[in-house]
Amino acid sequence: MFGERMLFKSFFYGFAILMFSYSAYLFVSNIDQLSVNQAAVETRELTNVWGDPQTGRNEFAGGFWKDAYFWKSLNLTLIITVITTILVSLAGIPTAYALSTFKIPGKTAIEILFSSVIVLPASSVGLCLIVLLNHGPLFQLQKWMGFRFAHSIFPGMIIASMVLSFAFGVSAWKATFDSINPRFEIVARSLGSSRWRAFKTITLPLSKGGIAAGIILAWTRTMAEFGAVLFFCGTFSELPASRFSDLVKFLKIDQADWLSVAVWSQIEYGNVEYGFALAYVLVIIGFFSVYLMHRIGAKGYIW
Amino acid sequence: MIEIKNLNGNLGDFKLRGINLTVETGEYHVILGPTGAGKSVLIEYIVGIYSPVSGKIFVNGEDILSLPIEERNIAYVPQDYALFPNLSVEKNLAYGLEARNMPKSNIHKIVDEIIASLKIESIRHRMPLHLSGGEKQRVALGRALATKPSIVLMDEPLSALDENLRSTMARELRRLQRETHSTFIHISHNFEEASDVADKITIMNEGRIVQTGTLQALMKKPETKFTADFLKTQNIFKAVSDGNTLNIGKTTLVKKNQLKGDVIAAIRPENILVISDAPNNKEPNNKELDNKENILSATIETVRLKPYYTEIVLNAQLPIVLYGRNENNYRPGQTIKIQLPQESIILI
Repeated sequence: MFGERMLFKSFFYGFAILMFSYSAYLFVSNIDQLSVNQAAVETRELTNVWGDPQTGRNEFAGGFWKDAYFWKSLNLTLIITVITTILVSLAGIPTAYALSTFKIPGKTAIEILFSSVIVLPASSVGLCLIVLLNHGPLFQLQKWMGFRFAHSIFPGMIIASMVLSFAFGVSAWKATFDSINPRFEIVARSLGSSRWRAFKTITLPLSKGGIAAGIILAWTRTMAEFGAVLFFCGTFSELPASRFSDLVKFLKIDQADWLSVAVWSQIEYGNVEYGFALAYVLVIIGFFSVYLMHRIGAKGYIW
Repeated sequence: MIEIKNLNGNLGDFKLRGINLTVETGEYHVILGPTGAGKSVLIEYIVGIYSPVSGKIFVNGEDILSLPIEERNIAYVPQDYALFPNLSVEKNLAYGLEARNMPKSNIHKIVDEIIASLKIESIRHRMPLHLSGGEKQRVALGRALATKPSIVLMDEPLSALDENLRSTMARELRRLQRETHSTFIHISHNFEEASDVADKITIMNEGRIVQTGTLQALMKKPETKFTADFLKTQNIFKAVSDGNTLNIGKTTLVKKNQLKGDVIAAIRPENILVISDAPNNKEPNNKELDNKENILSATIETVRLKPYYTEIVLNAQLPIVLYGRNENNYRPGQTIKIQLPQESIILI
């Protein structure tokens, strides 16, 4: 017994130390990518994709903190992530509760649909959205109403980032509700409590850890979105200012990209240092989100 | 009073067929049957978790099937007790009263009374996670009784408890039921547990009610082989009756009865007498017997010592099980005489 435990512990800690050291190595070994890369400087001079002043690009981390594009992109990502997370939670928690509690016809089919969305590559989700919303009757409807979902910030980015986030959130919340003894609510109701009061006083307090973990999972999944947003919305950095609405300008999210898309596009443009810097910013935000999830999730009372 | 009329249900693999049952107010009723008999499904229909295919359930004359769970006033104690893990014992007890928007002072008074009656003062502020099996059971029962329900339904309430605690809690259940004059419906698969508490017992098998009655009535007159078997009659034989005698294999016993032809003969082990001439034997003495019918000579095959009696399996041309006194020191291979009194032979 003791031997088995020791074996398990050594495997666990061994694996954890290995993973941690590897992540730390990846993190630290790439820091030099932030310093000015001579090859990248030369490429930029040759191609000069950015046209006029390249100031700030030829310095540490591309001088991203001085660049409006970075702040607008961060702003855009945070605003859309907050909106998406709120929408996903509002729709997803009741959906997960219904899937876990009620007998719904076609429940298995719905669950398979959600699970298959999780395993789909995000780029496929983006393509599916394009096919669904940029063709046929739904496209005609958008035309008639005078706006387009695809290649838009509102609501295009929200739709693109919601699909996977919703699927992940629902899976987490459903697992939480499934783990709660269904007899709690039945007993509560047999004692004269209404269905809503039983949910509010028993199920909700018991599932708060799982609900919070699901919200943060939806949040991190949205923030890390790449393929679906890129395919469905594309990039906005090169569009003229006139293409953006007053609301978008007011929120300071015009001519900006989703952060993960910005990482990709900057590296594609040859701004390796800038791209790496944004990637580091995303890693740090992701790390804190997961840390927060563990803090809240661990306090939750699942059973 | 609860009346179930011609209830039919279909729930996955379980089917209930033509259930008719009446439980009087203030009665302790045990529904007894093997696993898969449909007992739990029946009470889930009464609680309102599922709806039956057809039939009616009346509680004090009111048809409850159209009412939601919260309006039925039927308290339900599931097998795992389902104490709310986020609430303390006291809050669990008060839950149903708070749902009825009762004034706080009344709630305190009732909770205090229940705590005193169940003798759980020491655990009143504890969380359910830190309770023992017996404590959980008391709290679940107290929570159910607090709202003064018309019926308390308990699904295998004693099965999660260890053997010693089980009989103590059975007595406790009986006491509480008497004190509160509540109607209890208790589900069990254990005959001894049922015999500890029940006013009346309903035996179920394969989704049907087999027989209902008091324990004495069921033991005296089981209507089916299943009932006889389930009530641990142990000696059940195929026999041929001619109205005066019974032929069980090569053995002929005297039994005056109305039945003729193939019958089933059932004899409870505690009704079989051991007859002995040995001077120190405390069994009835051969010489003292007025009636010398149905005396068989038998060889002891196996002996199992139980706390209050010895279970003996005999070969008297028939395999017979009977209970003897522990102090007689029965040994396998020993030959003894037994009597099967006419009145102890039940014909089905």
